[in-house]
Amino acid sequence: MEMLRIENLYKRFGDKEVLRGLNLSVPEHSIFGFVGKNGAGKTTTMKTVLGLLNVDAGNIFVNEMPVTYGQTETNRYVGYLPDVPEFYPFMTAPEYLAFCGEITGMKKAEIKKRTEELLALVGLEGESHRIKGFSRGMKQRLGIAQALFNRPKLLICDEPTSALDPVGRKEILDVLLAARAETTVLFSTHILSDVEKICTDVAFLDQGKVRVQGTLSEVKSVYRRESYLLETESPEEARGLSEAFPVLQYDGGCRLQFDETACDVSAVLRVLADRKISVVKLERQEPTLESLFMEVVER
Amino acid sequence: MKTWNALMKKEWIEQVRTGKLMILSAIFVLFGIMNPAIAKLTPWLLKMMADSLAESGMIITDISVSALDSWVQFFKNMPIALIVFVLVEGGIFTREYQSGTLVLTLTKGLDRKMVVFTKAAILFLLWSAGYWLCFGITYGYNMYFWDNAAASHLLFSVIGWWLFGVWVIALMVLFSSVATANTGVFLGAGGGALAAYLMTIFPKLKTYSPAMLTEANALIYGKEEPAEYMTAIAVAAMTGILCIAGSLILIKKKKL
Repeated sequence: MEMLRIENLYKRFGDKEVLRGLNLSVPEHSIFGFVGKNGAGKTTTMKTVLGLLNVDAGNIFVNEMPVTYGQTETNRYVGYLPDVPEFYPFMTAPEYLAFCGEITGMKKAEIKKRTEELLALVGLEGESHRIKGFSRGMKQRLGIAQALFNRPKLLICDEPTSALDPVGRKEILDVLLAARAETTVLFSTHILSDVEKICTDVAFLDQGKVRVQGTLSEVKSVYRRESYLLETESPEEARGLSEAFPVLQYDGGCRLQFDETACDVSAVLRVLADRKISVVKLERQEPTLESLFMEVVER
Repeated sequence: MKTWNALMKKEWIEQVRTGKLMILSAIFVLFGIMNPAIAKLTPWLLKMMADSLAESGMIITDISVSALDSWVQFFKNMPIALIVFVLVEGGIFTREYQSGTLVLTLTKGLDRKMVVFTKAAILFLLWSAGYWLCFGITYGYNMYFWDNAAASHLLFSVIGWWLFGVWVIALMVLFSSVATANTGVFLGAGGGALAAYLMTIFPKLKTYSPAMLTEANALIYGKEEPAEYMTAIAVAAMTGILCIAGSLILIKKKKL
């Protein structure tokens, strides 16, 4: 089942067209990486899903229910973590979470249980200070806790890791990974290593459209190209090889790179053997998400 | 009901912990004490200045003050208290728009109307509690020093002024659902109140202006009768309700 479906979404701010016919489908219980450069329209897309922005054209469905601008029923299914979450600074973390439970009509006992559970999950148990004094990382973790509080079917996180140090980032990714059991996670990011670490699905957003989308392995296999890296012991040998095979990309030192489609590996191996070139390494490279993304964006 | 209680509790905690309740209490208590104190001290002050006044040709004879003087002070100070109230509470909505705290609350599926209702309710409660506390203190001292019976239509005049404050709160709520910053609220509510005051300059418009409710001195001196204020009360009540209804509609589609 699809937890979120976006059909042909258009949104313009003044004369800037941010979304140009965006289509997206987020399957249930996936961790969906929504990847795009800064200004690609990630936040705009997320805000339209939450009914915080009016769309010019297109439809959005959360849990098969249509999203409307302003007051929208679908927000009952959604948990939202903005890029810089802001809380009532005069409250403590447990008080804020209790408030989240109370406004959604949860029972007292359930609120108490859920508060303890989530504070432990995000590592804020025993934190009795007011939110006023929280660091960015602590706010981000409390942000996840509040977003998960009323067991949303869809958790939307806007660049949850962008502003954090490596330790903070890992903590947030671990929490998102743990959240998958009970919800569907859609998170936007421009940090591709984060996507590779935890995502099951991915979509690349570029110029207001989703260019590629699917499971991580699908996307990788569609764009798989066998690329090789060859390193010789001396630069002269590498230069000699690059002269014999002009299609090889030579870095000026000891390294050469080539695609299988451009150059036959066995032909290169033959020359290596004939000339008795001492090879440091010959490596078949897996496509990285970064190389895929660059390829998609530059096309 | 649970949502209502939760939101009210949050607003209350905010008032207490951010010191707003403290500021408002201090202002209303201070004015409550000052009104009779100024009236009580006037003869003494004038006596102190008698010598210098005599030099300029003014001779101070026996001055008698009554509860009326204290009530005149009450109605003189109330505009200042209301301005302080608006300045302290003007950001009750916009602060949440600007910081983004409301987005988190609303994206949990909370009905936006509920936000308007609870914030309007807390403003109403704070104004009412402060106002009647101030009234109570002044009333008590006046009763001790003089006799409150000197002021005619006292209850009607204080209820009138209180209602004017409620009307200003309705303006605050309306402009809070339009404005993005508290300056918009100050301008809107201030502009509304000013327009009402300007109306009172023109005799034909005066009876329709909610600001007429602030002219309580004419009532306590017995120069006017409550019946003359009925139109102003009706206009204030109607426009106040319209303001709240308008903000309920506007908040639904407000961009956050």
